[in-house]
Amino acid sequence: MAMKREITRSLAIAVAALLAASAATAQRGRGAGPAVAFDPHDISGYWELSFDSRHVPLAALAATVTPALRAAKRKQDEYATRWCNWIGMPAAMDATRPIDIRQGRREIVMNFETIATPRHLFLDRTTHIGKDVYDATTMGDSIARWEGDTLVVDTVGFDGAKGLSAIPGGGFRTSDSHLIERYRLVSNGAVLAVTFTWSDPKIYRTPHTYEYRYYRAPAAYEAQPPIWCDPFDEGRTAFLAGSTSSGGGNQPRSSRAR
Amino acid sequence: MRYPSVLAAVVIAGIGVTGDHTRAQQSNLPDIEGTWVRLDTVGAGSFGAVNTLTGNAVLTPEAAAAAAAGRQGGGGLRPGLVADDNKPHAAGEPYVVTDGSCTLPGGLEPNSSAFHIVQSKDEVLIVRENPGLHRTIYMDGRTHPDLSRWRPTVVGHSIGRYENGTFVIDTVGLTPGGVPGGGRRTAETQLTERYTLSADGKRLTMTYTWNDPKIYQKPHSYQIVAERQPAASWPFEDWCDSGDPTQRTSVIPPTQLP
Repeated sequence: MAMKREITRSLAIAVAALLAASAATAQRGRGAGPAVAFDPHDISGYWELSFDSRHVPLAALAATVTPALRAAKRKQDEYATRWCNWIGMPAAMDATRPIDIRQGRREIVMNFETIATPRHLFLDRTTHIGKDVYDATTMGDSIARWEGDTLVVDTVGFDGAKGLSAIPGGGFRTSDSHLIERYRLVSNGAVLAVTFTWSDPKIYRTPHTYEYRYYRAPAAYEAQPPIWCDPFDEGRTAFLAGSTSSGGGNQPRSSRAR
Repeated sequence: MRYPSVLAAVVIAGIGVTGDHTRAQQSNLPDIEGTWVRLDTVGAGSFGAVNTLTGNAVLTPEAAAAAAAGRQGGGGLRPGLVADDNKPHAAGEPYVVTDGSCTLPGGLEPNSSAFHIVQSKDEVLIVRENPGLHRTIYMDGRTHPDLSRWRPTVVGHSIGRYENGTFVIDTVGLTPGGVPGGGRRTAETQLTERYTLSADGKRLTMTYTWNDPKIYQKPHSYQIVAERQPAASWPFEDWCDSGDPTQRTSVIPPTQLP
């Protein structure tokens, strides 16, 4: 009889544990937040910025950043916007939609719901690709490593002449830019804190650092196609040029263009 | 007396194992992560020859008639190309198009560009090294959405699982269009892909099977093989600029064969 009671009690404990596990799984499935025991070494997820996500001090610009250089870079950015060029870094990390970050064993891929190529952060490489063979890109060549609970990403190999070059706080991405990012999960895995530090002696007197905090989107979020950018939309072009009277804007000219 | 406690411990341990099947999968999942390039080992110098890989789809009479009607319609510009005057053109009538390929839609099957696969816990990402939508394969147990509320895309909605060392993807919700081998697809058409790794890990065989009783008399199936790239490979950026005058091309639509 005592044996029977013991079995019943043990099964009751097991059933209670099963119910607790199911509840936890259901909670994750609804995307109500991170699992209780998040992995501080896995930044996979959908991450989005909010109005309070940016801490950006003014950059200490070098004397070589003349009004003429600023005007030239502004013109470059206007061109990239006008023609829907890939925006590149750092604009891609300023996305208005969630960024899909997926961490594998060899690399971390970041996918953007905007006009940008994916970022590849290589975990299985400790040195950059040589300048003699690497074709510079809007995203650069990124290698990543874990230092404790911080993912350190080192990027060079930028193409300074393509995409949106403006850096938050002042300055521009150039072909000599060197970016160090430090990613850290905080608030029990609900927030991804990222510090960006740009070094470029021709642009900055001292390295320029700012921080973004990305909020984890619900786990049930589904990736969306980027907002359409049609470089041949005349209304959009007029809008970008400062005219608001020509109507149209931000719509594809032809359904076939999709 | 000790046995009931042991029983409870075994049951609870079992809950721990089966309650998070994704984690269990991680231990024996096939290592398909990395950079891959499609291998087309047969061909005769034309895209049509590559299609000999796929065999010919056996269409229902209704689908065959619709496909023939589509060919009579003259096809149209591939996505990304935009006619300067944005109107249809008769055979022999020249016009100018601009390649807006910075916003190419992407696609399901690998093309001549390399593609990266990243396996994370809740998602597998497949990203090409050229513009367009990238593939998100959900591994978190979610189901397909109600297609009546889904806006079709060129990559559709994909869910995945591992089956005895094979990565299996199930996709619906695709934009209507063509399929290699003379097939067709709609948002309701179901695509099953099975990715199998060779014993040495260097080849990935991707078997595509299209199912749709309204279109196919029998499932339309074919294989594409990809080769793993060396570990130190890096992604190219397939730059394009819609504002570049050299992107403009003159087109003379040919007369379509019956």
